Amino acid sequence: MAAGLLGLGARRLLAVAATRGLPVAHVRWESSSSRAVIAPSAVAGKRTPEPTVRWQEDPDPEDENLYEKNPDSHGYDKDPVVDLWNMRVVFFFGFSIVLVFGSTFVAYLPDYRCMGCPREWNGMQEWARREAERLVKYREANGLPIMESNCFDPSKIQLPEDED
Amino acid sequence: MLKIIIPTIMLIPLTWMSKPNMIWINTTTYGLLISLISLFYLNQPNDNTLNSSLMFFSDSLSAPLLALTTWLLPLMLMASQHHLSKEPLTRKKLYISMLILLQLFLIMTFTASELIFFYILFEATLIPTLIIITRWGNQTERLNAGLYFLFYTLMGSLPLLVALLYIHNFMGSLNFLMIQYWIQPLPNSWSNIFLWLACMMAFMVKMPLYGLHLWLPKAHVEAPIAGSMVLAAVLLKLGGYGMMRITTLLNPLTNFMAYPFMMLSLWGMIMTSSICLRQTDLKSLIAYSSVSHMALVIVAVLIQTPWSYMGATALMIAHGLTSSMLFCLANSNYERIHSRTMVLARGLQTLLPLMAAWWLLASLTNLALPPTINLIGELFVVMSSFSWSNTTIILMGINIIITALYSLYMLITTQRGKYSHHIKNIKPSFTRENALMTLHLLPLLLLSLNPKIILGPIY
Repeated sequence: MAAGLLGLGARRLLAVAATRGLPVAHVRWESSSSRAVIAPSAVAGKRTPEPTVRWQEDPDPEDENLYEKNPDSHGYDKDPVVDLWNMRVVFFFGFSIVLVFGSTFVAYLPDYRCMGCPREWNGMQEWARREAERLVKYREANGLPIMESNCFDPSKIQLPEDED
Repeated sequence: MLKIIIPTIMLIPLTWMSKPNMIWINTTTYGLLISLISLFYLNQPNDNTLNSSLMFFSDSLSAPLLALTTWLLPLMLMASQHHLSKEPLTRKKLYISMLILLQLFLIMTFTASELIFFYILFEATLIPTLIIITRWGNQTERLNAGLYFLFYTLMGSLPLLVALLYIHNFMGSLNFLMIQYWIQPLPNSWSNIFLWLACMMAFMVKMPLYGLHLWLPKAHVEAPIAGSMVLAAVLLKLGGYGMMRITTLLNPLTNFMAYPFMMLSLWGMIMTSSICLRQTDLKSLIAYSSVSHMALVIVAVLIQTPWSYMGATALMIAHGLTSSMLFCLANSNYERIHSRTMVLARGLQTLLPLMAAWWLLASLTNLALPPTINLIGELFVVMSSFSWSNTTIILMGINIIITALYSLYMLITTQRGKYSHHIKNIKPSFTRENALMTLHLLPLLLLSLNPKIILGPIY
């Protein structure tokens, strides 16, 4: 999988490196498969020499690195227990409750725009489309004409008696 | 509406009486639950309003803004946890109380049905914001920033008070729901022209309009992260919301009174976008980008067509989430290098790839990539302004290009390229920061799937 910067434990390495610099070797190691050699540095007690000029980007000595005391810090608090619970609370209430239930609620909102008088407000369009598709499917399956030219059923219309 | 207001008020005793190690957990939890309740108001069945009481109502315009406001409080709390960690306990609680008070005033502003009530709360939102900027800002310029912020807004809104009192006298009531039915066309006279100006200037300053925008870069840059978030995401939208409400009273004067402001907005969009290309300060870049996006909203509201209103509403919500996310990203940089200069933390993609993914998505939504709601908003506004006058498309087109240019400039400068060797001192991203970005981004992406709830009452 992703090696180097993304590897497991790389976060801890980076976190430590941010304030204390990269870790040094204490014993000499020679690879058996290649010519790689890792050795302790020749000059004893050598660290990067103190820079003579302080840059803006130098780490602020007053900055606390939350990863030092708690390498698994989630960034909320120094206390690991409070930090862990804060993370859990945010994820549970933020994602599992609000985003999930909220999205479900919004997704199932009724068809917008005046259910009462749909024609005026251009409403119930999604319902109208679904209903039309359902009726077309039914009528085609049963061999009925898709639409009849009569708006109303002619047998139900009662005309007045012809008066001469 | 009380089901949102009372829990928000009760958040204040919650912060003061919680155990010291539980204040953040408690407030974030209940803040998230309040945002869940506010989603109920998105169920707007028709063009009409949902009237909760004599004082509060919710509309298809105010419900999304309400949801945005309540969603933002837990996000602000999460964003502030780190920079407040070294403060004494009372000061932390005070900060949280200011945020909650601001949230309360904003909820009431968006749902107020009487215009004087709206005005009082509109002004009241200034006070917690001023306290947050001037007390907890990081640089000495914060005092100047607070001054600019306060006085620009007050100068604009004092005429609004006079105008509202006059309208109340004249019409008999300022209940927004009632005056909708009593409106008569405003005859063209000098005093009515001044009435129009008095009503609109407060919101123009708040949006902000290009000529009156000087407070915004100062306030956004000097405010702490929660201040920047709420300023960019919600307080600017107060201006847009107010304009959309008050223009119903001011017809037909808007037809010709709008011209100077349209010119200022159309030109100002391009100017502020171009300024973004020359910024070295990251927060300043995002602040000017807010001015540019809000200029589009001003154009849309002044045109007063159905499409432009839909675009304005969508753009307000989209910009709220995007801008807030960009400020959170800028803050994650600031907490590491204690500087807002972009080039000091460059090439971050190699070190923090997940954060780079959030940067990419935020920049893409900022430049209105399809199919996000940012695009829907911008596109509706561009189309309606084209139908208002064909020439505006040239200016809008130039603005879209320059928006893309500076969004990508910001992305490339901070994320791509060769890192400086100080990058080894940058700590890895916290879960808190990644969660914060996701909580900004997911609603934005989910809304792209169902934008009809944010298209406002005209949809």
